[in-house]
Amino acid sequence: MLDFSTLLPALPVLWEGVQMTVLLSISALTLGLIIGTIMCTARLSNSTPLRILTKLYVSFFRGVPLLVQLMLSYYCLPLIGINTPALPTAIVCVGLCSSAYITEILRGGFQSLSPGQKESAIMVGLNRLQIVAFIELPQVIRLTIPALINEAIILVKASSLISVIGIVELTRVTQNLAASNFQPFEFYLTAALVYFILNSTISVLGLWVERRINSRSIV
Amino acid sequence: MNKQTQDSPIVEVQKMSKNFGTTQVLKNVDLKVQPSEVMCLIGPSGSGKSTLLRCIAFLEQYSSGNIYIEGEMLGYNDDTDIRKLTSTNELNHVRRNMGMVFQQFNLWPHMTALGNVTEALVRVKKLSRREADEKGHAILKKVGLAERALHYPAQLSGGQQQRVAIARSLAMEPSVMLFDEPTSALDPELVGEVLQVMKDLAKDGMTMIVVTHEMGFAAQVADTVVFLDQGEILMKGSPKEIFQGEKPPRLEQFLKNYMDRNAFWE
Amino acid sequence: MMTFDAQLILNHLPDIASGFGITILCTLIACFIAMLLGLVVALGLMSKAKILRYPVRLYVEIIRGTPFLIQLFLLYYGGPSIGLYLEPIEAGIFALACNGSAYYAELFRAGFNAIPKGQLDAAKIIGLSRLQIIVRIQIPQMMVLIIPGLVNVSIILGKETAILSIVTVPELAFVLIGIGAETYAYAETLTVLAVSYLILAELTSRFGGWTEKRLSKYMERSI
Repeated sequence: MLDFSTLLPALPVLWEGVQMTVLLSISALTLGLIIGTIMCTARLSNSTPLRILTKLYVSFFRGVPLLVQLMLSYYCLPLIGINTPALPTAIVCVGLCSSAYITEILRGGFQSLSPGQKESAIMVGLNRLQIVAFIELPQVIRLTIPALINEAIILVKASSLISVIGIVELTRVTQNLAASNFQPFEFYLTAALVYFILNSTISVLGLWVERRINSRSIV
Repeated sequence: MNKQTQDSPIVEVQKMSKNFGTTQVLKNVDLKVQPSEVMCLIGPSGSGKSTLLRCIAFLEQYSSGNIYIEGEMLGYNDDTDIRKLTSTNELNHVRRNMGMVFQQFNLWPHMTALGNVTEALVRVKKLSRREADEKGHAILKKVGLAERALHYPAQLSGGQQQRVAIARSLAMEPSVMLFDEPTSALDPELVGEVLQVMKDLAKDGMTMIVVTHEMGFAAQVADTVVFLDQGEILMKGSPKEIFQGEKPPRLEQFLKNYMDRNAFWE
Repeated sequence: MMTFDAQLILNHLPDIASGFGITILCTLIACFIAMLLGLVVALGLMSKAKILRYPVRLYVEIIRGTPFLIQLFLLYYGGPSIGLYLEPIEAGIFALACNGSAYYAELFRAGFNAIPKGQLDAAKIIGLSRLQIIVRIQIPQMMVLIIPGLVNVSIILGKETAILSIVTVPELAFVLIGIGAETYAYAETLTVLAVSYLILAELTSRFGGWTEKRLSKYMERSI
């Protein structure tokens, strides 16, 4: 029989795990957005080496499972003399992985804008930076918000893998609780529910942001 | 083909109304289409002529009144007091002698012209592939597309696509054909070839209901022209009566607008 | 200093090959079941009956809102609590298939909706049955439209198989990480691992591109 009575005393520990998961996710997403924007600029630049490099970057981080990336950074970075603690390593790893996806999302956004818009902006005398800042970026943000929100949800889910390199976030906490209480079903179900609530929150928040952005422009 | 005697109409619409939510788009429409009759529905956009045609095809459910196709009630069970939709099988049975051609052609893009024409022959009429192909080729020849049988819709011009769509309907040997603005999506220079196919059909005695903006076609080919405005039939008559006789002011205005738009010589 | 000992990889080649085989096997079986299940789920999502649509929608949302690792743990470690005893590989494939079905289902649904309604009107009026319309008109077109999406989800599922190593499925990641732990040759083993997945992803996407080209011939304007 299922028995959820052991859940109550475990709540404080679970809460700590949730906090760690949220912290990890927010830091990694911020990093991913920054690097993703930079990478996207390089990806769309006129320089061939830059374009090829960013393409390789994106292929690597999208083609290799995050678990393997985590293992690589955890075991191999020390081999070349980089000894960062596990937590920053994990954040950077997830952030880099996410940046590859964000690069492609933003690229899609920029490329979906009709070239005519840019031409008309050039003809009225806007410079390159002005075109990006005032004509393209506002539209790209509006177009890519749904995909970026989705990426945030993927990132929260991916953060569960960080448990394998020993960081005590929601999944790791749950593993410990499940083992010590001999109640894997109850605890994993609870963890699933918590992740679901976290992601639903992001999803609702995303819809709200989307609506606010769209309400301010006539589409 | 199941031709009726002269006194029993192929399509009969009785006091038919259609609501979208609270707005009434068709009001008390009465129509009778006799075998071999060509009827053109004209009217300003939003007058309900396409909706009327879609109701006759039961692609839209009508709200009240009755529609009979060759004497059989369309879409609803006739014998009960409460209006009940018929089963898909019964619906298909009543529609079996009806063909329809759409403004946007609606060809299936993943099938060749021949595939489009033979699909229903094989799936619905259960013809063998060989028989269906034979028949398909013959009908494509009839609409002047014998050489295009193995082309996909994307490889055909708009006029050719519409002719394939006509062939697709013809293959089922309908006793009545519905045309929903068949030339409105075409480039002007392609309109003629489609109208020619339709004229040939009319000459062969096909019963046709045509929603159209081509007044020339209506004047030359139609037996009856029906003018719809704001969901109501304002006038019904021969082309001569409609275009040359006494007419209600709205029809007068409608025709005047049409003339102004198409006049290039003051 | 990091060195690369190729001999070590060669020595373990049979193990690595068997791991690679299991990875591919898991991916193929899981993708296959997931697509079939996904098609059923998609039909459920599009059903007019709320009693069918709502539970299916909940299923999709829960799968998409929770990490695969948790789904796997719930099935493998939690399964016995509800009388479900599965071998690691069974649990792994089953979990992957359920996970994938939700993503495939959304693709199928979007694909169905992308087909112009007029084409379905034309099919209805000519007398094709509901099933014939789905099989002959909708599915063939939908498949071409969504191939890029299918490839994407399949690549993601292929990568997720790495996670099966955590519940001791002897696939590629399990084998190579195991060799790494034994010999401390992490640089060699993990590099081989990463490159293998890159190759797998590349092959999947090539295969997808090839299929798309073959199936979408009808969209080309000239012969």
